[in-house]
Amino acid sequence: MAKRANAGDEDAFGEIVRRYSPRVFHFASRFFRQRSLVEEAAQEVFLKAFTQLGSYEGRGSMEGWFTKITTNTCLNLLRSAKRRPEMTVSDLSEDESGWLENKYSGAAEEEFKSSERSKVAADLTEKVLETMSPDDRLVLTLVDGEDAPVKEVAELTGWSESKVKVQAFRARKRMREAVEKLLGK
Amino acid sequence: MSEQHITSILESIRFASLSESDHLRIRAHTANCDDCARAYRVASVSASLLQNRMAETFEPSPFFHTRVLAAVREKQNEGPAFARLWRAAGALVSSMAAAVVLFAVLSFGVLDQQSLPTDASAHAYSAEALILDDVEEEQTDGQVLSTLYEADE
Repeated sequence: MAKRANAGDEDAFGEIVRRYSPRVFHFASRFFRQRSLVEEAAQEVFLKAFTQLGSYEGRGSMEGWFTKITTNTCLNLLRSAKRRPEMTVSDLSEDESGWLENKYSGAAEEEFKSSERSKVAADLTEKVLETMSPDDRLVLTLVDGEDAPVKEVAELTGWSESKVKVQAFRARKRMREAVEKLLGK
Repeated sequence: MSEQHITSILESIRFASLSESDHLRIRAHTANCDDCARAYRVASVSASLLQNRMAETFEPSPFFHTRVLAAVREKQNEGPAFARLWRAAGALVSSMAAAVVLFAVLSFGVLDQQSLPTDASAHAYSAEALILDDVEEEQTDGQVLSTLYEADE
């Protein structure tokens, strides 16, 4: 299919888009929370894929190839975006402060499992992640969020495995410090 | 278990990957250590935040496929960057180059004509030398007359 698409067969490329767009969207959703940004990133991924089809040698899976392009595209978009300045307690909504306090005090998990609570938590996470560097965000998302093995993250990013481990170690520390600050602890 | 040990565990392993025995060991320590208890709780909150964020995902819209193919077609029609640039600015660049060449030809041509020696000044001799016939080359009547008139002026 890749060969046909590379030869200019639009139907073949259309099939590639249809087959891999759920995967690309899933991955891009990890980095962007607005649908428009996710779509923009996904479109860029497919345009890059179209121009680079000749370099796809079919050695690895096409899904892996798309994941790699998506990771790099999202990382570049994050790098070009403006970072949110450091957050303080006053930047939190009442719901977000409540969620944090309850979670910290170890209130019954069930009480906070409703979809509304999840949305509050997701909003809050996005705010915290937006204050972090793109590299920290990437490694937290992939290693801690997606539970991707260090080796896989190294392959996706082109970093060494040691760099992935060190980056993850530092990113966890920075995330913990950011949350601690929001909790006022 | 030192505080350093607890934080290094929390930072070196994904929180969700901590085994039950890790949790037991940490809890045993945090029962008597407020700093470690705080670090452990905050790490738990951070992990929970990420988990909630990861639960969100977008599906491609029904028009996405069409949009991508339209963008691909547009890219194909654009062709190579140089050709595109040349199409846009080719006529302008050509006319500018032609104007420069024309200007250069006119400038150097006029300068050359101005620097060409006239017959009268090519082999200028003084009026005295002409009268005494002290010249190496034979002068035309016109040259002789113009030299004498210039000497009078």
